[in-house]
Amino acid sequence: MSQTSDIQFNGLYAHELTVSRSEQVLLEDAELHLAPSTITYLHGENGAGKTTLMRCLAGLLPADHGEVYWNKLPITHPESNYFQDLIFLAHSLSMKNELSIAENLSFYASLRTKVSLNKQQLQQQISSVLNELGIGGLEDRMFAELSAGQQHKVALARLMLEPAKIWILDEPFVNLDHKTRGWLSEKALAFKQQGGTVLFTSHHHIEELPIDQSVGVEHE
Amino acid sequence: MAKAWRWFHQLGSPKFLFQKTGQWLPWIWAATLILLVVGLYYSLWASPIEVRQGQKHSVRIMYIHVPSAALSMVAYIAMAIAAIVGLVWKMKVAFAVTRSIAPVGAAMTFLALFTGSVWGKPTWGTWWEWDARMTSELLLLFLYLGFIALHASFSDRSKADKASSILAIVGVINIPIIYFSVKWWNTLHQGYSITEKGALNPAFQTPLFIMLAAMYLLFIALVLMRLRAEIILRNQKSRWVAEWALGTSAKGDKS
Amino acid sequence: MIMTLLRRELKVARRNWIGLAIPLLFFIIVVSLFPFAVSPDAPVLQQLAPGVIWVAALLSMLLSLEQFYRSDYQDGALEQLLLMSSPTMVAASKILAHWLLTGLPLVILSPLLGVLMQINHGVEHSTHTWVLMLSLVLGTPTLCLLGAVGMSLTLAASRNGLLVSILIIPLYVPVLIFGASTVTASLENMRYNGELAILGAFLLITLVFAPFASGRALKISVG
Repeated sequence: MSQTSDIQFNGLYAHELTVSRSEQVLLEDAELHLAPSTITYLHGENGAGKTTLMRCLAGLLPADHGEVYWNKLPITHPESNYFQDLIFLAHSLSMKNELSIAENLSFYASLRTKVSLNKQQLQQQISSVLNELGIGGLEDRMFAELSAGQQHKVALARLMLEPAKIWILDEPFVNLDHKTRGWLSEKALAFKQQGGTVLFTSHHHIEELPIDQSVGVEHE
Repeated sequence: MAKAWRWFHQLGSPKFLFQKTGQWLPWIWAATLILLVVGLYYSLWASPIEVRQGQKHSVRIMYIHVPSAALSMVAYIAMAIAAIVGLVWKMKVAFAVTRSIAPVGAAMTFLALFTGSVWGKPTWGTWWEWDARMTSELLLLFLYLGFIALHASFSDRSKADKASSILAIVGVINIPIIYFSVKWWNTLHQGYSITEKGALNPAFQTPLFIMLAAMYLLFIALVLMRLRAEIILRNQKSRWVAEWALGTSAKGDKS
Repeated sequence: MIMTLLRRELKVARRNWIGLAIPLLFFIIVVSLFPFAVSPDAPVLQQLAPGVIWVAALLSMLLSLEQFYRSDYQDGALEQLLLMSSPTMVAASKILAHWLLTGLPLVILSPLLGVLMQINHGVEHSTHTWVLMLSLVLGTPTLCLLGAVGMSLTLAASRNGLLVSILIIPLYVPVLIFGASTVTASLENMRYNGELAILGAFLLITLVFAPFASGRALKISVG
């Protein structure tokens, strides 16, 4: 019923999107365009529905009405490849307490890439990313043994280990020290330069990260 | 065909369904009451009893028992069909239908079990027998209660609707499997069989059919009443509900 | 997908073995209660054995369901899996892993319970034990598959724990009937092929619809 041809935008495009949570309409007939090579800042009060909107854009939450398109195709269309191109980092870190850092990270990396990865190469990659994040040498520690800040860094390391074209990040800067904030901003900018699309939420303004678009969600 | 589709879509509109059922309900209730009175008169007083064959008055319980047992199954299937409609065509009213059927269906199942038990005491000398049909009915009651319990344990209604609809569909796939398993198990243990040969007697047929029709109508009437309450509850924020509640919109509004 | 997930599940299980051991211990302890409650007489126990062992297996499978999707749901791994693969695939992999970690150990432990319940009383061969194991091999995956559906439906529900038991115990009844009667038939020196075939048929039927239904339910729970 929905026509696929009327969307002429590359990147992520939400058309006439209506989203609700627990029967409360959070967004009605919204249009949203996240073009390639842009960084979008999503802001709004607590409970205004930032997370709900992100989950909807990530395809986890069905929209009441409207459709989300990825490169002109609905995200659920098998040829849109949306889910291969997307990394969605949610509030929950999605890591197993019973696994080590390296095991957690290589699990997601090997799920993502269809070709069987060279194991050694992957381990090397993991080590170097962890080094950059200042938690080098902790690869074999259990995830549960890390501090909250360190755990958060592990989740961020996924961004460097899995190939993607769009990042949807829910509160990525929370719990981060100054240095890691800089690291993440730098990586996001580099990702943007390569044609990547970034959508993120944050409580505060992030000075390090120049944004191209700012979207607000408001309470009624 | 096109007309049928339009009607299907109109039924999907809560307001349309609410108004239509409001128009139908008095007629359905009237027919139910007439049939119930006639049927109960026939079955409790006017129908013959073959005392020579050792039949007792307790056989009259069958006139309630058979329709309620038939309805308990039919209701579950109807609930599963509504669940499929809701999940596949994303028709929200269908979820309200499943929610409306469940308690009435559970009540019918309970009625079937209860009447079966009351009938069993003078006939078999026991309140409960692990007869194939009674056991299946008991499991069916558990399926209904599971559906109601699952629906009640979500805070988010749309999740509750979808999850319990999946359960209804899984349940309906399992009903025949459960029935045949229990039947096989029962013959293995050589229990009683309640095939009621007397029920085929034409003198029994007429009151039975009247009671069947009456109970079906009663079921429909009860479900529609619940459905109307459910529609109001689910659309409490819409304007038409407010207008209806304040009485500003006339009955059978054409807009 | 399946292999990667399987490897991860096994690793997690190895480090969290106590969670998996408890349902198995429960399985053994429940069965060992019967001689105290009924009678230690070998013929009596032998007659009760199929039913007791099967009911205990069923309850143990119910207990272990709590380990199924719950932790993946709580730490957010489930939604990541759903993003990377089709819901049916996620459900199928999880079910396979879960059966390997709970159903299979149960099958392996069952001869021990056969001994406790004197299943081979009065015979020289061990056919009854083999039949018991075979019935569990065919029956427990079905319990696992149906349990997966129940578990994925109740993930987002506020009250759980016992809720999932209420939902799926009626669905478990056919498996229980044929599982126990397979063993009974063997004890009575009758043919049990028919019962085994029906257990197999149940497995095939649930194999067709349960991963799909569970996958749909996972989407709903996560959404």
